[in-house]
Amino acid sequence: MDFLERFLKRLGFMVLTMVAMSMLIFFLVEIMPGDVAQTILGQAATEESVAALRESMGLDDPIHVRYLRWAGGFVQGDLGQSIYMRGVEISSIFWRRVGHSMLLAFTAFIFYVPVSILMGILAGVKAGKTADSVISFVGLATMALPEFVSGIILITIFSVYLEIFPIASLIPIGQTIWGNLNILVLPALSITIVMFGYVSRMQRSSMIGVMSSDYIRAATLKGMPRRYVIFRHALKNALLPTITIIGMNMGWLFGGLIVVETLFGFPGLGSLTLSAIKTRDIPLIEACVLFITFIFVFSTFITDMAYAFLNPKIRFKQGEV
Amino acid sequence: MKNKQKTMPVLEINNLNVEYKTLTDRIVAVKDISLKVGRKEALGIIGESGCGKSTLTYAIVDYLPKNGSRSGEVIFMGENLLEKSPKEMESYRGNRIAMVYQNPYSSLNPSLTIGFQLEEVTMFHQKFSRSKAREAAIETLTDLYMGDAAGIIERYPHQISGGMQQRVCIAMALLCKPDLMILDEPTTALDVTTEAVILDIIGELKEKYNMSLIYISHDIGVVNKVADRIAVMYRGEVVETSSQEAIFNDPLHPYTRALISCMPRAGVVKETVRLNTIPGYVTRRSAAETGCPFVPRCDKKRPGCEDRYGFTERKSGHFTACDRAYAEDVPERPVQIKKKEVKLPDNGPAPEHRTILQLDKIYRYFGPPGKRIRAVDGVDLTLDRNSVLGVVGESGCGKSTIGNTVGGLLRPTSGKIIFDGTDISVSWRKRSPETLREIQLIFQNPGRSLNPSFTLEAIIGRPMKKLLGINSGEERKKRIVDILKKVDLGEEYLYRRPRQLSGGEMQRAAVARAFSISPNLLICDEPTSALDASVQASVLNLLVDLQKESGASYIFISHDLNVINYLSDMIMVMYLGRICEYGEKHEVVGSPCHPYTEALLSAVPDVDPSIKKEAIRLEGSPPDPTIKIKGCPFAGRCHRKVGTVCDTTPPPKVDFSETHFSYCHIKPAKIEKKVMQAGEVMRTQEI
Repeated sequence: MDFLERFLKRLGFMVLTMVAMSMLIFFLVEIMPGDVAQTILGQAATEESVAALRESMGLDDPIHVRYLRWAGGFVQGDLGQSIYMRGVEISSIFWRRVGHSMLLAFTAFIFYVPVSILMGILAGVKAGKTADSVISFVGLATMALPEFVSGIILITIFSVYLEIFPIASLIPIGQTIWGNLNILVLPALSITIVMFGYVSRMQRSSMIGVMSSDYIRAATLKGMPRRYVIFRHALKNALLPTITIIGMNMGWLFGGLIVVETLFGFPGLGSLTLSAIKTRDIPLIEACVLFITFIFVFSTFITDMAYAFLNPKIRFKQGEV
Repeated sequence: MKNKQKTMPVLEINNLNVEYKTLTDRIVAVKDISLKVGRKEALGIIGESGCGKSTLTYAIVDYLPKNGSRSGEVIFMGENLLEKSPKEMESYRGNRIAMVYQNPYSSLNPSLTIGFQLEEVTMFHQKFSRSKAREAAIETLTDLYMGDAAGIIERYPHQISGGMQQRVCIAMALLCKPDLMILDEPTTALDVTTEAVILDIIGELKEKYNMSLIYISHDIGVVNKVADRIAVMYRGEVVETSSQEAIFNDPLHPYTRALISCMPRAGVVKETVRLNTIPGYVTRRSAAETGCPFVPRCDKKRPGCEDRYGFTERKSGHFTACDRAYAEDVPERPVQIKKKEVKLPDNGPAPEHRTILQLDKIYRYFGPPGKRIRAVDGVDLTLDRNSVLGVVGESGCGKSTIGNTVGGLLRPTSGKIIFDGTDISVSWRKRSPETLREIQLIFQNPGRSLNPSFTLEAIIGRPMKKLLGINSGEERKKRIVDILKKVDLGEEYLYRRPRQLSGGEMQRAAVARAFSISPNLLICDEPTSALDASVQASVLNLLVDLQKESGASYIFISHDLNVINYLSDMIMVMYLGRICEYGEKHEVVGSPCHPYTEALLSAVPDVDPSIKKEAIRLEGSPPDPTIKIKGCPFAGRCHRKVGTVCDTTPPPKVDFSETHFSYCHIKPAKIEKKVMQAGEVMRTQEI
């Protein structure tokens, strides 16, 4: 009962956040200097033609009307037309890019989550010993390494010397990503390198905290074998903070990989956003930013629910016997 | 073979030592301990914190930190546990030797069901199937008087009360029918009435399960209820072992005697007795140190105590390292104990019977409407000048909320607080500087209530500057030194920070801060609950002295009836945000008129083992504070419930004297007849 209440409350908050964010994005773009019609037609256009275009695009309508039209289109799946690629429906390219990004995020996720968590557990259980020192050092080093450095190192090793994976993550014209899954590996690896430090360190410290708790002592002195104590008694509690960290980073993983995507030339949402900004393609910028916002809000929501579900203190209302 | 089994002690510890290596030193946590625990025997171990009680038990089950090492012998059922491998130890832990700890809530895994945590014990040790393990779990829980055992095991730990959690922990220890059960302060985190129930249950265990117990506590009263024999530990050594009676009536070791005489106990009140104190505090012991561990704090020491040491049988069954507890060749310190206690002169000015504080229908709620927690639910109260009001009740009864409301940290939801003629039912921001100065607070944990980055000079000087307007640094410093001396901290403490002080010194500093601006009302919220017995005594003495000297009134909040009884003039008993009973100390303690007071008094463990009283078992736990109660809040657990009227009508106020009243449906005449057994004990024990 409590869980459902929490679910509905968070869902409500999520919708509210999205509405507020969409307004913010719309009005921020609105107050940006420059006239859309002028931008489209170029500096040489006559005043009449600019006015005519403004008229036809509805740019003279009051701001709230334009916001509602824009937001309404969004809800119905109409993302508008690109300005740079004149007349092209944004949705025709946007969703494909989103799909690529999701696939990359998913790949990165299955690369880094198990490794980081396992290494974090190992470091936490062996705190102060050699295994811990090695893992902690590697984590710290990879955290300090920016993606463009680690990416270049990966390219040098795997593409230039070993020639296992392609240098650039390009999809040949006429093919889909499904026939070119190997392009995912290097970007996913470089994300893994970035995330490993964060997640393993978080897992390590929460593991240390849990292992020194009273209930672990109690389980040990109940005669339970150490391995059993670690995996059956400690892990479930020690995972909670890590899940939060992973969830917080889901948004970044789906929509914020601008550096990684640019480096590898990966056709995802990040590189699309970057090119939209470069070309001042305002409807496209709006679509990208709003979608990235949505991913952030949604992953926070999912994290929160997962946390609540895994934590019996939230899942079951306090009720004394 | 069978015969041998019978006579052989379950546990025999011979010359056990535990040392911790630190960067600079070797610390001795347990030194040269030899103990025996026979079949069906309960050994109580008492001592202050840091005396190695817990370390001793962890040494038995091989659960020491990495820098700890053991030597000696721990013979359990004929086998030396020190020679067992970690893998072999697993088959002893939880199976042959089981443990129960202080805090049941944190000892249970929050994300596993109670059933799971119980079942795994027999599944591992006895190779039970899950269904058989479940049966065993339910059976054991039922054995411990858990009504709905089958329902309980489906739940998570946070869904049951503290008393229930501790029963689950005890059940967990019992599942494999161990030979030895070690209980480490199992009731310290529980309320006194819950403690009484748990102690009753523990008392039955050794017969029912044919096992031996080691019961550790800092509280002699608690140990008395379960132990056959008591061992007193001090700085890693057992200094004395004997029967309860001998430990209390005829202690041979100066430490035992000093420890007992500094405990507030039945019949010990500030009017007639000054608590004994032990100078200094428990310090760590370096491996290089020899001789008696108590030498630095002993008033009976003589040349040679630093070197000589021998633990021998002085009387039959009474082992001790020293028998100078009553040695006459050294002058007694002016502070006397027991029957030699100095009567304090009753020469203070007759208290003006003028009210300093009046609470008029104070309500304080927390939380949103609908889920309202009624922390204080209509409290009327008057407090006289120059008197100490003891507020007692179990956790969640609203006693701290009252203190915080009067202190201005909380605003009352409704009601009036009149202090010295002015209405102060506002937050502290709106109070005048004069009122702020006059009302001061002391909290339970001085380590957390004193700012760690300030020196004592800054901590004590700041209110002087702000509220007394003493701007001259010279003048302030002079006054700070004066007040520090009053609380037995010298001038050298002026520039120390809280972390450089011991717990007792910190609380003295907190008292000094409060008294530095001569308040008229001091609110003490469990000021000695975090302190050891010897340190508690010195802080209590200090509070008594300062109260006499300054004529200030106290609101003294505590869960410990012995402390309340020692220090208070008036006592207020609270339950679920309401007053149960109010009156002068001798009235409330001597002839309690509310069943809850009676139950509380009966549950207080006594230091003196000759006091035999039956604790009244209160079933269940206090009702949910978010539900509005129509009748008496105590009705659901009351052992003297009159009838449905208790559930439907708020109890009327019944006056027994000018000062003594209670809220109860029982007819006053009936109460007079049943002058309650617990009160009888408290009265007859007065010296």
